[in-house]
Amino acid sequence: MAIRHYWSMAAAAVGFRLVLVLFGGDLHLASRPEVSTPLTSIRRLAEGYWLKQASMSPYSGSMYHGSPLLLSVLGPLTNKSLIFVAVDFIAAMLIRATGRKLQIARNRSLKSLDLTEAVSNSVNVSAGDIASLIYLWNPWAIVTCVGSCTSPVENLMVVIIIYGACSRLAPLAAFGYVMATHLSLYPAILIVPIILLLGYGPDTPPTKVFRLKNSNASKTDVSYDEKSSSSRDVRQFSWKPVLHFTLWLLFWSSYVLLLSSIILNKVGGLQEMFKKYFFAEVFDFFRSFFLIVFNMNIIFMVLPLAIRLKHRPCFLAFVYTGIVAMLKSYPSVGDSALYLGLLGLFANELAEMHFTFFLFFGYIGVSLLSPVMHNLWIWRGTGNANFYFATDRVGYRECKFNDKA
Amino acid sequence: MASSATEEAKPKPRLIVRLGVFLASHHILFSAICCTAGVIALLFLPALAKNTYLSENALIPGSANTLFSTEDVLEANRFAKGIEAATGESRGGTEIPKFIAQQMKNLGAEVYYHEFLPDSKCFHPLKFFTSMTNNMAVKPNGTYTNFGINTIGIIRAPRGDGKEAIVLVTPYNSQRVQPNELLSLSLGFSVFSLLSRVAWLSKDIVWLSADSQFGEYTAVSAWLNQYHNPMFLSHPVTLATKMYGANRIIYKPDGTTEKAELMAFKRAGTVAAALIFKVGETRKYGDRDSVTMYAEASNGQMPNLDLLNVVHYLAVHRQGFRVNIETFSSLLTSSWLKVIAEVFHNIGTVLRKVNPDWKLDVTVPDYVEGTANLASSIYNQALGIPTGSHGAFRDYQVDAVSLEFGPAFHLRNENAKSSFLLRGGRLTEGVVISINNLLEKFHQSFFLYMLTAPSKFISVGVYMIPFALLLAPLPIVAAALAGSSKTKGKLLDECKTKGSADDLQIECGSWKWLKSARVLLVIQFWAVLVSLLPYYISQIPGAMPIQYAVIWAVLSIAILIILYAMFGSPFHAGVEWKLLKATMITTITLGMGLMSIINFATAQLGALILIPMCLFSRPLREQLEMTFLPRTILLVSSILLTLLGFPPVAFLIMNGLSKGSWTVDIVGDFWLWMEFLWEWSSATYLYVFLVHLPCWLLCIHVLLHPCHQPESKMKQE
Repeated sequence: MAIRHYWSMAAAAVGFRLVLVLFGGDLHLASRPEVSTPLTSIRRLAEGYWLKQASMSPYSGSMYHGSPLLLSVLGPLTNKSLIFVAVDFIAAMLIRATGRKLQIARNRSLKSLDLTEAVSNSVNVSAGDIASLIYLWNPWAIVTCVGSCTSPVENLMVVIIIYGACSRLAPLAAFGYVMATHLSLYPAILIVPIILLLGYGPDTPPTKVFRLKNSNASKTDVSYDEKSSSSRDVRQFSWKPVLHFTLWLLFWSSYVLLLSSIILNKVGGLQEMFKKYFFAEVFDFFRSFFLIVFNMNIIFMVLPLAIRLKHRPCFLAFVYTGIVAMLKSYPSVGDSALYLGLLGLFANELAEMHFTFFLFFGYIGVSLLSPVMHNLWIWRGTGNANFYFATDRVGYRECKFNDKA
Repeated sequence: MASSATEEAKPKPRLIVRLGVFLASHHILFSAICCTAGVIALLFLPALAKNTYLSENALIPGSANTLFSTEDVLEANRFAKGIEAATGESRGGTEIPKFIAQQMKNLGAEVYYHEFLPDSKCFHPLKFFTSMTNNMAVKPNGTYTNFGINTIGIIRAPRGDGKEAIVLVTPYNSQRVQPNELLSLSLGFSVFSLLSRVAWLSKDIVWLSADSQFGEYTAVSAWLNQYHNPMFLSHPVTLATKMYGANRIIYKPDGTTEKAELMAFKRAGTVAAALIFKVGETRKYGDRDSVTMYAEASNGQMPNLDLLNVVHYLAVHRQGFRVNIETFSSLLTSSWLKVIAEVFHNIGTVLRKVNPDWKLDVTVPDYVEGTANLASSIYNQALGIPTGSHGAFRDYQVDAVSLEFGPAFHLRNENAKSSFLLRGGRLTEGVVISINNLLEKFHQSFFLYMLTAPSKFISVGVYMIPFALLLAPLPIVAAALAGSSKTKGKLLDECKTKGSADDLQIECGSWKWLKSARVLLVIQFWAVLVSLLPYYISQIPGAMPIQYAVIWAVLSIAILIILYAMFGSPFHAGVEWKLLKATMITTITLGMGLMSIINFATAQLGALILIPMCLFSRPLREQLEMTFLPRTILLVSSILLTLLGFPPVAFLIMNGLSKGSWTVDIVGDFWLWMEFLWEWSSATYLYVFLVHLPCWLLCIHVLLHPCHQPESKMKQE
């Protein structure tokens, strides 16, 4: 069931962004630490662009930590963030298409389980529409879009991965994967859901349900062969798209490296770029510790979740993005915008979620608390960094709770 | 065995869950107990106040002998005579700065003038939220005839490294100097001249004689703004900006180098603390001269308590002043407060008998005075408007306090004047010595406190108890309401899925609240629009406050109607009133929690009004079905509380309580009050319009809810 007025609402969201970008004047969003981190700030990008124009390495002077590709693509366009509106719109459309694909897969697997009644009866909203609308109207997504930082681009790349993998377009998925990893490294863990998606296809109920179904069928039903064959179709791991993906991966990554090296050719070479991946502005003494905290913690989560959710790779990808948003260094609201947008893809499953009322208001509370604490810390001097940090923690707790639920 | 164990384990959830369920099932009792306890705890606060003490050991006030002597008093008198002579022959108001500058130069201090323009009224309600520093509208272009001149002298500390400074401020009106202002100027000068001779200074001394013809705050904040935000104006702009007349009068026509020197903005180090002192008019011929301390800065910020302690200690124990703080004098004579005081005194004595360590038995006059002071303290903090020019310092995180001397003699009395100057000078010198001793910024003592007497305070740990008690039932009640409507919702869903599954897309199960959240969003959107309206309304020139207020009200109602037409009114949307109330309570919890971080006093006062209102709110139609007694009680209390919660009415009552006088023109006064709030960029303005008003409107919605829809559905079932 499609949502009425979908297009008008989407257009209103885009129009709202345009209005904010063009007439927003002095919102000073770009200077908020929640919106633009040192990694994604477009002001730093402008600085890097300027350095590059002056034939210096953009990475000298510890100002710029982003990708050299962004430098050449976005560098000349740093004044107006109109391009980010377009990027957000594309991301929303891709989320919508992903939702469609998931929907079809879901209906098919329900049918193969003889649950046609459930298909027609259940509250069957078009999850893609909801997800893309959530993404478009999410205040955090709007803020990141208007606040001129590069996270919309990173988010777009992650969405491209998921879309490409869901629709089994190996070149597209590989392109998204290479670009997303190139931009911020954390999406690298998405390789697990991609391979699962390419191998098995989109989300299905767990295998044991099929097995149960089959055993029941063998007892009662005559057309055993047909059912088992259909279920076998669903579960078979096909190596072909994965191989395809790997080839394309190699191709795209070498292409990106080549481009980067061409861009950085005159100004210090490629090794400059690799420094940016493990960037953390902390005391040297704690640096390695924090790198472990930020990066290893995420890697620890990868395997258990992959085992638990291997039948639902798309949901797995969503959980990974949620975990990355929680645990990454330099988190921003852009990451939350991404995974809240993806959350909408599972609207049908979420209908059963508990405590949504409190989660929702908790989110609102936390997102309002963080600027207040920042104000207390920076401008009024009555609070300190710990206050802000505590808010961050509460925010993580919220995210985590959401994931669990 | 095992199976029975698992059976036992299954229905028993964790303790915290069971506790939550228990509280939710008794939420009415719980909220009644909590709210009563909160109000009682609030009334108990004056009895819980502790004596102040000096936390920072480096201050050691009064340990050094003050050097301020009769010589300095003579100096002050000479200075006063000089100013009188200068003003006698003056044209305009530029003779006094010239004279002061000359005198300071004779002392060997660095001198310069600072010219500033009066602040224009502007609407920037969010200013407090960003930096206070860099958004003052300085448009140095064009010619101005109306400007103020601050005269600033700097003494470089002989033992310092020039990294820190102490600022002394004496405001005076350059257009018409009153005798008391003259006295404060000469006091300032004599202290400055003493400090220019002493050898022990390790922090630079800045004396700012602030031209208060546009108000003290404007002068001080303009100077501070330039002190902290250097402006690099291009040469043509500087040339184009002419303070008309300044060049002619202040500067000698020949000395161009001297002019440049006098106009160059000079700085000392970071400001460690600031002391604003002025001599007030003789109010009453009491036995002792008094000092009134003003400390409240913008949005309820206070200077470090140690600064007040030093002033209080030196003033009372060394120089024999009587120290006052602001108070609500109308409360001092009120009879009902005396009754409450008696009750608390009796309770306190009983408690004392139970345990001698509980010293809660304050005497009746102490309690009454403490309550009056505390009420004034809370009121001033809640308004969020600084009570003097010290507020400008707090915006730059500098601790500052205003001292207003109240002489108990007639200003013509020369003998009394000299003795007053001597003691006032010694007090100021003593405070400067103490601050000079500091090695770090003030950080030891409290920043969050309320004063019940000059030497008694309530710290944050104590005064947040009543607020926490008031706030505690809200999440429980919200949970109970949301939970009860959910169980009902499940039943409904079952019956609906059997019937028709057309319209309910997302409102099944635990997502039913989405509709009420939509109502909330619409109302919040409306509130944002209403809070922004004054920006446009105030552009209309030449209307009475009452006209502005009426335009405001009419536009707000029109916007509300338009919004309802666009997004559907909540009465037609079929939102369950319980969910609506749960949403309202959750927003109040969030709003109050946030506001208590920004400005605690506002949240405290707001909680007193809002929380009973929203806890009592039930649909009138449902109330009518009850039996007589609870019906009337509920009806009357909910209607009364809702009436009280309406911002203009709440304002009227606050105003009446604080001033003891009841005005008639509520509407116009409300506009003036709001104008006052947004000019000073107080967070209270945001609170009133983004938390209080939407909650009040939601409360009205709950009251007028046509609660027949659930019944009809139940009948269907």
